[in-house]
Amino acid sequence: MTAKPPSAPPRPGGLLTLGPDGPAQAGAAPSAPRSPAPRPLLVDLAVAVVAVGFGLSVGLALTATSHSQLAAPGGPALFLGNLTGLAGTYLALVMVLLISRIPFVEQVLGQDTLLRWHRRLAPWPITLIIAHVIILTIGYAQAAHTGILHEIGPLVNGFPDMGIATAGFVLMVAISVASFYPIRRRIKRENWWALHLFMYLALALAFAHEIVLGPSFVGHPMTQLVWSVAWAASAGLVLAYRVGLPVVRSIRHGLVVEEIRPEGPGVVTVILRGRHLERLAVSGGQFFEWRFLARGMWWQAHPFSISARPQPPYLRLTVKCVGDFTTALAGLPAGTRVALEGPYGTFTAHALRTRKVALIAGGIGVTSVRSLLEDLPKGTRPVVVLRASSEEELVLREEIAELVKWHGGRLHEVVGPRTAQPIEHLAELIGDIKKRDTYVAGSESFVASVTRLLALLKVPQEAVHADVYAL
Amino acid sequence: MKRAAIAVVAAVGGFAGVLGFNLGGSRAPLLQGATGSNTGSNTGTNPGSSTGSNPPATSSSSSSSSSSSGSPSSPGSTTASGSGTPATGLRSALGNTYQYGYGQLAVRVTVNGSTITKVDTVGLQTAESYSQQIAQQVIPLLRHEVLAAQSARVNGFSGATYTSEAYLYSLQSALDKLHKK
Repeated sequence: MTAKPPSAPPRPGGLLTLGPDGPAQAGAAPSAPRSPAPRPLLVDLAVAVVAVGFGLSVGLALTATSHSQLAAPGGPALFLGNLTGLAGTYLALVMVLLISRIPFVEQVLGQDTLLRWHRRLAPWPITLIIAHVIILTIGYAQAAHTGILHEIGPLVNGFPDMGIATAGFVLMVAISVASFYPIRRRIKRENWWALHLFMYLALALAFAHEIVLGPSFVGHPMTQLVWSVAWAASAGLVLAYRVGLPVVRSIRHGLVVEEIRPEGPGVVTVILRGRHLERLAVSGGQFFEWRFLARGMWWQAHPFSISARPQPPYLRLTVKCVGDFTTALAGLPAGTRVALEGPYGTFTAHALRTRKVALIAGGIGVTSVRSLLEDLPKGTRPVVVLRASSEEELVLREEIAELVKWHGGRLHEVVGPRTAQPIEHLAELIGDIKKRDTYVAGSESFVASVTRLLALLKVPQEAVHADVYAL
Repeated sequence: MKRAAIAVVAAVGGFAGVLGFNLGGSRAPLLQGATGSNTGSNTGTNPGSSTGSNPPATSSSSSSSSSSSGSPSSPGSTTASGSGTPATGLRSALGNTYQYGYGQLAVRVTVNGSTITKVDTVGLQTAESYSQQIAQQVIPLLRHEVLAAQSARVNGFSGATYTSEAYLYSLQSALDKLHKK
């Protein structure tokens, strides 16, 4: 400890302190770069572009219909069917973009915000697309002077690309039903996720009939081109950032499990060894989607926060064993290869708005707080509150204590059942909480109750940064 | 908040942009000329006009004059339309309007003696753009077939079964009016 220059934070954490480069050099050059600073203007621009596209889609439906068509039998229904189809499909494209992991969007909004938008938007496209199918069936039946049920056969068989579009629609509805919360919570996360991926297939199946049959596209090569380019570009973004970049990063760093050691009851720390970790840009408080390439596990990716900034050649995560996967994780042999996707998350020092910081961690939420502490600028004097239901569950407490001491901050450990330790108590411990940026990490209910309390205390919303652990 | 405002403004902008662009006329609505225009009755044929199977322009294609290549329509023969006229010279008749799948059409046929010299489509109306496109693609082909076969007994086109049937039924009804077999 005596050799450590005062400008660099200590690097506690067992094996991590044994890195070949030893303590950080004077000048506090970090061992690996931090993730780039968020650029919110770019996101504003992206929002504008996407919204213009929505306006265009709705406008196209209007311009594709003439007055005499509206007056003809089935005219209003055919118009409405086209409108709902265009709007619904465009919103489906927006949903794809929201989860396409575009780095500059992730850095500003964060994955939980993007996922929340994705979920909030979800009912709209599927409702519009179901309306599109029903209304158009009615419209065509009126135009052809037949019954609605009678019209289904000719619609599916009599028009090009309608067979595959129908298959896509059935798939889309099935996946949406499975995503409906009361049903979704009965399905295992990884199974649901695998099913959900088929939404890409459903959207692809529906594409051809849009171009070939859509009144806004028939005979309009320009709109066909623009629509195709928009979808191809989105598919490209998904492939690049959900597949390409993770594969490249995983291969470049070639991570393998070095050691897995117990940290507390049901909590393990996984230490990975890899190449070129000094080139892996990640901030303290961020997480990766990890994929452990072992039998029965390789196909699932799980989000875990790093519990320390990379210290080449090591990278560390700390995991609470709650499910089959995490339990199996604890038993993985050394040498198991690990793929990663990320880093993600805005629970970083980039989010700082004031000079002083409060960090509140519930249970396993301590992991991201631990790595974030390494990244906090000097002078933030962090007040750290660790919340756990028992002493043994206060994992990483020594490391936290050491970092807090180095920062000249305070550490409070609050142990006991929630009934004995009401959430209000946490804020009292911090005192000047309104003058601080408050980072809250923990389970969904923990983060929700703390943020509710902070809102009651009139802490500005922009000064509250949350990291939710879906357990 | 701020981003929501950006989104709303941008969406309205995009919407207004499409409408403005369209009103500007650079994007003529596909169906403008195809709705209810019954102007396909130019019975005075110009004799000696050449191959008649060139596809019509995308808009306003409800009528298109054509005659079969090398059809022996004699110049100077006057027109006499309707049934009941002698079996020589140019005569034309309008077939029944047939309601098919997603539209309707009628066919006007012109004969010279017993030779079909001209087939026009009148009153083509479709429910939506795709059917319109199909009709526009298939009608010139049907006309070509009919002029070649000199009969309504030609095969329809798959993928445009309804349109073909309506076209040929209407043609047959027009030929019946002219007492042509």
